[in-house]
Amino acid sequence: MQKHFEQELESLKTNIVKMASIVDEMVENALTALETSDLELCKKIKAKDREIDAYDNLIKTQCENILALFQPFAVDLRFILTSLMVNNQLERCGDIAVNITQRVKPLINHYDLVVESKIIDMVKFSKQMFKEAIDSFINRDLELANKVCGEDNVVDGYNKNIFYYLIDKMKEKHELIEPASHLMILSRHVERLADHSTNIAEDVIFMISAEIVSHKHKLMKWAEKEQSKNQLETEE
Amino acid sequence: MENIKIKTRNLNFYYNKKQALFDISMDIPEKKVTALIGPSGCGKSTFLRTLNRMNDLIEDIKVEGDIFIDGVNIYKDNIDVVELRKRVGMIFQKSNPFPKSIYDNVAYGPRIQGIKDKTTLDEIVERSLRRSALWDEVKDELKKSALMLSGGQQQRLCIARALAIDPEILLMDEPASALDPISTTKIEDLIFELKMNYTIVIVTHNMQQAARVSDYTGFFYMGKLIEFDETRIMFTSPKEKQTEDYITGRFG
Ligand SMILES: Nc1ncnc2c1ncn2[C@@H]1O[C@H](COP(=O)(O)OP(=O)(O)OP(=O)(O)O)[C@@H](O)[C@H]1O
Ligand SMILES: [Mg+2]
Repeated sequence: MQKHFEQELESLKTNIVKMASIVDEMVENALTALETSDLELCKKIKAKDREIDAYDNLIKTQCENILALFQPFAVDLRFILTSLMVNNQLERCGDIAVNITQRVKPLINHYDLVVESKIIDMVKFSKQMFKEAIDSFINRDLELANKVCGEDNVVDGYNKNIFYYLIDKMKEKHELIEPASHLMILSRHVERLADHSTNIAEDVIFMISAEIVSHKHKLMKWAEKEQSKNQLETEE
Repeated sequence: MENIKIKTRNLNFYYNKKQALFDISMDIPEKKVTALIGPSGCGKSTFLRTLNRMNDLIEDIKVEGDIFIDGVNIYKDNIDVVELRKRVGMIFQKSNPFPKSIYDNVAYGPRIQGIKDKTTLDEIVERSLRRSALWDEVKDELKKSALMLSGGQQQRLCIARALAIDPEILLMDEPASALDPISTTKIEDLIFELKMNYTIVIVTHNMQQAARVSDYTGFFYMGKLIEFDETRIMFTSPKEKQTEDYITGRFG
């Protein structure tokens, strides 16, 4: 019984790892396609999306079965919940890879703009975050998960810089309005890749330490604000 | 914080020379359900029986430490054990109705207490059977032998019998372990209802059941209380590795 259960958990984990490696490859290829303007590669990436959808369904079913048949507790329960959440994030990361490829064609004649905007660096950084988030899941690595959570602002920084850089470019040269707009959207997609990676890392922290860290910062700020508001009211 | 109904302090228990409980200090809150879990032979039933001095019936036992119910030490010499067991009712794994009618089973305790008036007894029987969620099923055949009831009905009859003497605490030792899912659900629903008025301590080997019915859970291992906390915490993020290993089935 216990052995059967362990096998199920192992199989679930294997499927998530497989799904993650497909997403990783999709993002890697999307980066290459962007750097080399490779439209054929873009098509291949799009085709991979179907595999992701299949894994998405498989993992959901597996989680449902494990919950129904084994009714796990504590660490095991958190592993299943985390698997469901990570699965969800992976599926979206796959979509983002496809979104990136959709910007390759419009940018084909604007290689300089792409390079100067530093979007390639941003993709590389986000991709690294994604990889580390997945590694933290596979190896139950709390330290690594915490590291990923702390890197979100780096990507926000990239996003902001790219935005203002492109605004300047558009002011300079009206011909650049179109490609720059595509780049802005692209940068937004890449930022979301980093967001999803952070979410995965937060889910991993929950899995390991049973602590819910999502929105923690925002909620704490909100609570502080409420408190000072109450304080003001009582002072009045 | 809840009121503490039962308080054990540094409780040791011995069968002959063999120690079965080690230094148990536990606060059992009033009108809540406290579940005791742990592997076979870890002392759950022994502990349960110390709470109404049922172990006194076994020869050659020794108790050290204190147990307080409502602040009164129940192991002091001047304690009336019969009175104590009236306040602390017990329900066992195997339902054990007397070979008498349903009515006489429930009326047994009150009669021993000297209640003879027919209307009073009728009232007690009906109230107890209602509380144990059996009334609707047996109200037309109270004269029928209790042994004709199904296992699940017999178990609820035993609960009615325990309720008839109006206890404050109910001790249940694996009350649903021999029952089908429907009877089990009935017993669990009943426990949920009963905790409005009673303090309940339940031993169960069914983790899901402990998680479902209890507010607090104690994990016993080799005669020791390893961890005691809110059930919610015990089944999501226990502090002790041994507890986690046990509830996730990785023990030993
Ligand atoms: N009447 C008795 N005389 C001597 N030893 C006993 C007696 N009853 C229990 N023991 C011993 O005390 C220890 C605890 O037994 P207890 O029945 O309390 O365990 P338990 O946790 O209820 O186990 P189970 O889950 O199997 O019911 C065991 O080692 C058992 O052998
Ligand atoms: Mg027992």
